Amino acid sequence: MSGAIAVLFDNLPYLLWGAWPNGPLGGAALTVLLSAGSAIASAVLGLLFGVALAMSRGAAHRLLVTVLGFFRAIPVLMLIFWTYFLLPIALDIDVPGVLSVMCALSLVGGAYLSHAVHAGIRGVPAGQWNAALSLGMGRWRALRHIVLPQALRMMLPSFINQWVTLVKDSSLAYIVGVAELSFVATQVNARTMVYPAELFMLVGALYWLLCTALERGVWALVPRDPQRGT
Amino acid sequence: MNAFESAREQLLAPKYLGWLLDGWLMTIASSLLVIVASTALGLVFAAARGSPRADLRRATAVYVSLFRNTPLLVQLFFWYFGAPALLPEAAREWLNAGHHVSVAGLRLHWPSFEFLTAIVGLVLYATAYVGEEIRAGIRGVPAAQLHAGMAMGFSAAQVQRHVVLPQAVRIALAPLFGQYMNIVKNTSLAMAVGLVELSYTSRQVEADTFKTFQAFGFATLFYIATIALLEWTSAWAVRRTRVKA
Repeated sequence: MSGAIAVLFDNLPYLLWGAWPNGPLGGAALTVLLSAGSAIASAVLGLLFGVALAMSRGAAHRLLVTVLGFFRAIPVLMLIFWTYFLLPIALDIDVPGVLSVMCALSLVGGAYLSHAVHAGIRGVPAGQWNAALSLGMGRWRALRHIVLPQALRMMLPSFINQWVTLVKDSSLAYIVGVAELSFVATQVNARTMVYPAELFMLVGALYWLLCTALERGVWALVPRDPQRGT
Repeated sequence: MNAFESAREQLLAPKYLGWLLDGWLMTIASSLLVIVASTALGLVFAAARGSPRADLRRATAVYVSLFRNTPLLVQLFFWYFGAPALLPEAAREWLNAGHHVSVAGLRLHWPSFEFLTAIVGLVLYATAYVGEEIRAGIRGVPAAQLHAGMAMGFSAAQVQRHVVLPQAVRIALAPLFGQYMNIVKNTSLAMAVGLVELSYTSRQVEADTFKTFQAFGFATLFYIATIALLEWTSAWAVRRTRVKA
């Protein structure tokens, strides 16, 4: 066991931040960056399309539901293939692997979150809408000032769940060779060839810490609702 | 070259479509296996999660935290690279060697090590989700139902079997099918440990033909078809179990 600890300890810096500062940033640090970028982008997309779902009617609404359904029906891995191989062709520029994976993760996360946002908006009692409209507000102003602030609080659990999922899904960047935590773990495994069980348990523990810290951290940051005590 | 031939040129040769189809069948077969196994284990898990014994409840809570807060990919790597190293030498050799099992006169080939580890990893991961949905379904049944059953002289096991579970299944059905769809999508990660399923073969076809759009396009269509089929089955099952008012 002490042999395993020594080997893992030697490789810990590489697992945590890759070759940095002598080379590109990698490992857990890149996992955090990749997840943070996708988390922000997916929240923006989710809000945008969630509001669009709530405010649209008829054919536009159905089209939106179908497109969002598409992103939820295919595996994240497949979407990473699409963005990784086709973004450079479509844009005719060299797209770094991290960006194409971030793009795929944001699209999937945004598609899931938009449904949560939509449900949150619909969960606000109709009386709130009516009160705002009777005060002379337009639909959009009512949404912005009355409905969304209340809906966002209800959506928080969905956002946290989705962000934890994003951290876990960022490991799929391994498949296109982005040097995040899972990828460097397989590198270390191939290089050391000893203690694979201990190595992947350590990597699992690092992910577990990230996910649990994220979950607890967001809850701690959110001001408590004085009326509901949540 | 006429228009028909140039259109054919753009498509995939039958050989490659065959690869994709084989991959799809592997995706479906392993998904079904994982769905059945994780539902069976999920029932046991849900029973333990609601058990009066505190140690069992704590154990299931730890299980959920460990398996849901670490990536499936890392779990698969653990089962593929890590777990065999923990096994004794003899067991490892036995696992890697080809075996034949005779079941009712049929000679079955022992599955590959890649297949075994992929299935084990997927089942253990899925159980943490499926078990929680079953648990939520059971908790959704009002306690009065249980009490009424007991008052009518049913034993605790009979109440669970005839009163609680049928209602719990009805409540949990739609979320359970959501998890089954996740299982289908999650099988794509098994390509990382060498399971030749749909994502694996689409990557193979892409590398062999350089027809990126076609290779991933067909694979995407196969995935959408599978999910749509599950969606349809779910709607049908929910309709069938609905209680008429």
